[in-house]
Amino acid sequence: MIGRWIAPLALALFAALLAWHVTLANFPQVLMRLAIGRVTQAGGENRMAHAPLVTAKSRAIVRPSPDLLYSSCPFDLKRGPVLVQVPAIPAAYWSLSVFDERTDTAFVRNGREAPGGVRVALLAAGQTAPAGYAPVRVDGRRGIALVRVLIDRTRPFAVIDAARRQASCRAAR
Amino acid sequence: MRFGARLALCALAGALIGTGGAVYSVRAGALGDQIRLGPWTTGRDFGSARASGYTRAVVALRGLLALPAREARYYNAAIDGAGDPLDRRCTYRLSGGTLPAAWWSVTLYDPAGYLVPNPANVHSVGSLGLAPAEQGRWVVTISPNPAPGRWLPSGGAGRFELTLRTYLPADGGRGEIAGDRLPRIEKLGCA
Repeated sequence: MIGRWIAPLALALFAALLAWHVTLANFPQVLMRLAIGRVTQAGGENRMAHAPLVTAKSRAIVRPSPDLLYSSCPFDLKRGPVLVQVPAIPAAYWSLSVFDERTDTAFVRNGREAPGGVRVALLAAGQTAPAGYAPVRVDGRRGIALVRVLIDRTRPFAVIDAARRQASCRAAR
Repeated sequence: MRFGARLALCALAGALIGTGGAVYSVRAGALGDQIRLGPWTTGRDFGSARASGYTRAVVALRGLLALPAREARYYNAAIDGAGDPLDRRCTYRLSGGTLPAAWWSVTLYDPAGYLVPNPANVHSVGSLGLAPAEQGRWVVTISPNPAPGRWLPSGGAGRFELTLRTYLPADGGRGEIAGDRLPRIEKLGCA
């Protein structure tokens, strides 16, 4: 009787291990796709959306920092490079980070490293950067470019907010 | 039962158990639970291609779009210094000093990772908002009701978590802040 179940139980163990690894491997991509979808709804694809200050009602991303202003660009490189430009922002800290669809960081640059601002071209395999843009290679073709800007919530930050709203994202023509 | 049916049944059961177990373990995982320093936990490979599949999944759930270590380090606490879960009905003393980073902040979240509603609309305390005299020695009261001095509201009932962000860490993110330099979390009492 037991012998009849040895092979099925071995298959069950194999299936469980396989499902474990497949689930873990796909978990980040699934959550990233959902995040890209939410951010795209806010401002559209290959466009920079400048989110208001996060509140207790904010649900666009998990664990948002209330000390940062976020601007985000959900990008898709299927039709060519996407150009991201961030001007110098008069804040104690700002950065541009680019995440691919596996949630890996493809690029990070902060205001200390780039006091004059950042101009990058997000590139899939085989694409080239236009003149004046630093190339950033991205695994896959989708992801999110995210601008973080530090503010002090207890003080006016209109000047900082106006500067970060100059950050842009567009498909190269 | 036929042999083929037994195989199909067991394969299905195994796949369900494996999938459910993976989802459960990721949901039970804490942000950066590779290194424990007192009540704080952290990890070095957020947003990195070096991250394991499990770490990548937990970070995606708990802190999607987290920065790599050279840019920012994230320390998370779901317990106090005595090891008890952080409870929004209780009062805590959060205290610390200068941290080796360009700037830092401590933010209060619900267990799902969202800000907790409160009438004061205060969700964090950080180095940018501290007076120069406080930078070397600061104290914050975490409680559901207003408290004198610096107050971080914990809202209503349920558990909460604290996330310490240190941006541009002085060591380039290669190491952790020593446990005795991280903020202390002491429970003073519960309502």
